This record gives sequence, C-alpha cells and structure tokens, in this order.
Amino acid sequence: MPSLRLCDALAAHARHRPEAAALVWRGRRTTYRRLVDLAEEMAAALDRLDLDRSRPLYVPAHKTPETIALLIGAFRAGYAVLTPSPGLGAAVLETLTVQARCSAVLTIDDRGALHHDDVPQNEAAARGFDAVDPTTAHLLLTTSGSTGTPKIVPIGADAFDRFAAWAVETFHLTERDTLLSYAPLNFDLSLLDVWTGLRLGAAVVLVEEDSATDARHLRDLVAEHKVTFVQGVPMLYRLLTQDDARHPHVRTAIFTGDAMPRPLLARLGAAFPGARFHNVFGCTETNDSFLHDVDPAAAGEKTPIGRPLPGVRALLLDDEGKVLDGPGTGELFVTTPFQTAGYLQRERNEGVFVPAPDGGPEVFYRTGDVVSRDAEGLHRLDGRTDFQVKVRGVRTNVQEVENVLATHPDVAEAAVVALPDPEAGYRLHAQVTRRPGTALTSLRLRTHSAAHLPRHAIPSSVQVGDTPLPRTATGKPDRNLIKALRQKGNHA
Amino acid sequence: MSTLTDEIRGYVVTEFLDGEDTSDLTTEFDLIDSGVVDSLGLVRIVSHLSGAYAIPVDDIPLKPEHFRSIGAIAAFVENANRAAA
Repeated sequence: MPSLRLCDALAAHARHRPEAAALVWRGRRTTYRRLVDLAEEMAAALDRLDLDRSRPLYVPAHKTPETIALLIGAFRAGYAVLTPSPGLGAAVLETLTVQARCSAVLTIDDRGALHHDDVPQNEAAARGFDAVDPTTAHLLLTTSGSTGTPKIVPIGADAFDRFAAWAVETFHLTERDTLLSYAPLNFDLSLLDVWTGLRLGAAVVLVEEDSATDARHLRDLVAEHKVTFVQGVPMLYRLLTQDDARHPHVRTAIFTGDAMPRPLLARLGAAFPGARFHNVFGCTETNDSFLHDVDPAAAGEKTPIGRPLPGVRALLLDDEGKVLDGPGTGELFVTTPFQTAGYLQRERNEGVFVPAPDGGPEVFYRTGDVVSRDAEGLHRLDGRTDFQVKVRGVRTNVQEVENVLATHPDVAEAAVVALPDPEAGYRLHAQVTRRPGTALTSLRLRTHSAAHLPRHAIPSSVQVGDTPLPRTATGKPDRNLIKALRQKGNHA
Repeated sequence: MSTLTDEIRGYVVTEFLDGEDTSDLTTEFDLIDSGVVDSLGLVRIVSHLSGAYAIPVDDIPLKPEHFRSIGAIAAFVENANRAAA
C-alpha cells in the first residue's frame, strides 16, 4: 500500500467504478467508493490529531476492511505505519513500537470509529535504530522472528510500485480479477494479494483470521465469489483440495513459503482445472526473487524454485565465499528491484546486506538459504545454513527457541529439534533437563514458552526429565540422537 | 459432567501430550496459547468430537474459544448434546 501511487489509483477506481467491490469480508462487500471515503475520513481524522509525521503510527494488522482503510488514510496523510501481527505478545509489541519510535497506536472498529493511544517514547531503547522517512517508505513490516523480537523491515514505496507492476504483468492480472487474501495482513504476501489487487481495482476476498483452517469455509469463499487468483502456503492447497473440491474459476494459483509435497501437487490439476501454477520464492527482505511455472502432471520429486525474476540477480557462493559459475550448490545471495533498504536496526544489516560478491554495483541480501543450480539454470532450495526451519510456513530458528526455554529458572539444559511433519512441514520437539530438586513439568514450561514465543515457535512436544541430555563427542547436546529417538518413539 | 471431563482429559493427554507429565493439567489450562493444540490440532479435535459424541460437523464452529481448555471442550459438548436433545 505502500505508495502514493496506490492512493492515486484507488481514488481513480472510486471515481470510475464506484460500485465495484474492493473488499469482501465476512460476507460484506466494501465498494471502492466506500473504501476511499472511509480512507479520506481517516486521513482527515489523523490531520486533526496532528501527530508528529516524522514518527510512524502503529496499527495492529487486523485483517478487516476498516483497518485497510485506516492504513490507506494514514499513507495519504503522510505517515509511515508499523503493522505487526496483533497476535504478538504485549511486551514484544511495546518493544517494536519503541524501536520504531511510533507516536501512537491506532485501531478502528467495525463501525469505522477510530481509537488512538499515545505510545511512550524511550529514546534509549531506540538507539541504533534508524528513523523512518515517511516520504520513501510508508509500510513497516516485521520478519517472523522466532523469539520475541522480530526485525523491522521498511518497504520502500518505489520498491512496492515496481513489485506491483511485475506481478500484474507476470500473472496477467486485471480489474476483473478476484484475489483471495489468505495470509495475515502483516505478511509480505499481502503486498500482492491485497495491495496490488487494490492498486489494480480488482476485488479482494479477505479470509478471516479465525477461519484460516476451515476447509469448508475456504471452499465456499472461493466458489461464492468466483475467486480467480489464489496465493498461499501448501496448507491452503491441502484445505482447498479436501473432499475432491473443484475450483473452475481460478486462473492463477501461486504456492510459496514452503516446499509443495508431491502427492498434493499431483492433485492440483484436477482441483483447479483452469489454472496456471507457479512456485514463487522470496522473503520479506527482498520480496519475490524466483519463479517457476509448474505443471502438476509432470511434477518431479522436488519442485524447483526456478529462475531469477527479471531484474533480479542471484549468486551462489561456495564454502570459501567464491561465486559459483554454472551448476553447483552454495548459499544464495540475491538482489531484487523490490528489496528493502535494510532493517531499521543498523547493526542487523552488517553481513546481511552486503556489496555485490561479484563486484557489481548492487546491494545483495545474504539469504542463509542453500540452493542448487543445474546445467539448465534451474534452481532448487536444499535447506538452510543455520538452525532455521519452516513450521507451518513460518521461518523459525530452533536455536532461538532453545535459548528461550533455557531462561526458565528451573531448566538446567534444553535442546530443541525439528521433526519433519507431513502437515506442518516441521514440528518442534523439546527435550529438557530440569535442575535437581525442582518440580518443573512440561506444562509449566509451555506456559513459560507462551509468554515469550510466538505461537508457531512453541514446541509441539516437550519432554522434561532429570537425566542429562545425550552428548556428542565434542560435548554438545546430541540433537541427531534426540531427533532419532523421538522419531522412533512415534513409530512404535 | 465429570465423566465427560475425564473422557476429554484422557483424549487430550493421549492425542496431544503423549508421554508428558500431566499431573498439573487442570481443566482451565490454556491448550491453545501453550501450543498443545495448534490450528491443525483444532481440526483433529472437531473430527473427534463429531465422531465420539454424534455432533454433526456442520454444528461445530471452528472457533478456538470452544476448544481453549478441557473445561471449554466439555462445556461445548454438553451444550451441543443438550441442544440436540
């Protein structure tokens, strides 16, 4: 949303096609006229509040037409907006708003009434964080950090405009399309399925936060509103293909965020008989970087992430940091026309946003992804260079989860391992040794986790005992053994 | 009601807390915030309730608040059965 061009485009849609549906939510249509009117009201209300424009606003990312109108109004009034997940803990949200130097938290109810509260300033806690320039970046997303402190990622207005132009052209989107918005509003996926859709004058069907796993409801939404564009993690496709459901109106189906299991991929052709399928690869920092057009009937064992998008340069670096020529496997360094100028916290950028490894003029993002390239130039994702896994499509750092468990006073040591799971991608398992004389239970440790971790990072299973963790020869917890024992236990 | 609560406790322990020490699992313990039951877990619970207590799936809204604790699940089943009777 993140650009004034988006605001101009919306105003034009409201003039030329006032009664066209912009948003559909809980069965309620919001027309372009209504959306723009409400956004103008919000902009006027913000003008009256006269908050400091050099400080961002904080708007919890509830996926409602009113919140979207509030965001548009805020952009229009010249503010940058931080939009974290409303599901983050209060302590985390407070940290984020202080780091971004937000002036106020704004919420809007179903009837369009605006509420605001001042955010206390704490310049000491914001030290090391860049000030946000609301003329170049309107939207501040956050990464899905597995511990309490997600990184703040400003989305440049120009970067968003370039991304929207790419997406419209690549997926042949028009104002006649109806896009399903499945991911939460604070995810980068909304840059395409909400903001690009609105910029174009298309209709956007918002999946309610509390209905995201309700297969019947999702199927009905797609059918009733004749959705033509679907984008989401493999779980969305698992839900949409349940009970042999068919979606003849869908023209474009994008999967992203996680590896698409082959058996599920094989079902997509029948479920979406009129669709083209695309595997899209990217992250919040760079937005989309790779695209692969997929034929479900000819799917191999592992779906490639494909080739770099136009204007994207992707380099693979070997263990010595040498740029690989031709086929090979290495860590992916990538630069895109859509990428952020960097995290708000300056020191986080060191070693992550780097000069072009081959001496080019661009800034590259070091992804931490291990990627292979074959002789035809097709790329495949092999894994991570660090302790990160995807749990239900959300990048999660296993080591950070371990560190949080270890902060419980009764924990002597904790190891967290990621177990492959057909539904979730991975599930986390924690093996914990409690301090002698304490009565720590797994439930108490879960309560501790709930206070300090986002939901997806809380281990699915927690084993608490008195015996020390198994060790490797070098004295580290033997995570491979823990993993193997747990998997064996599950098969028994 | 207490038999129903025990049944549901047994189900939750077997399905979601296999091998864990559940001596301090109260009927109020928040199963969702604590990560015991995730969104896919909700789907499993609904399917179980539908089968075990003859509640039509169509009558089970997939709303986390009904399944937040053992007590909440028991109350939900109780109400659904009363409504059907």
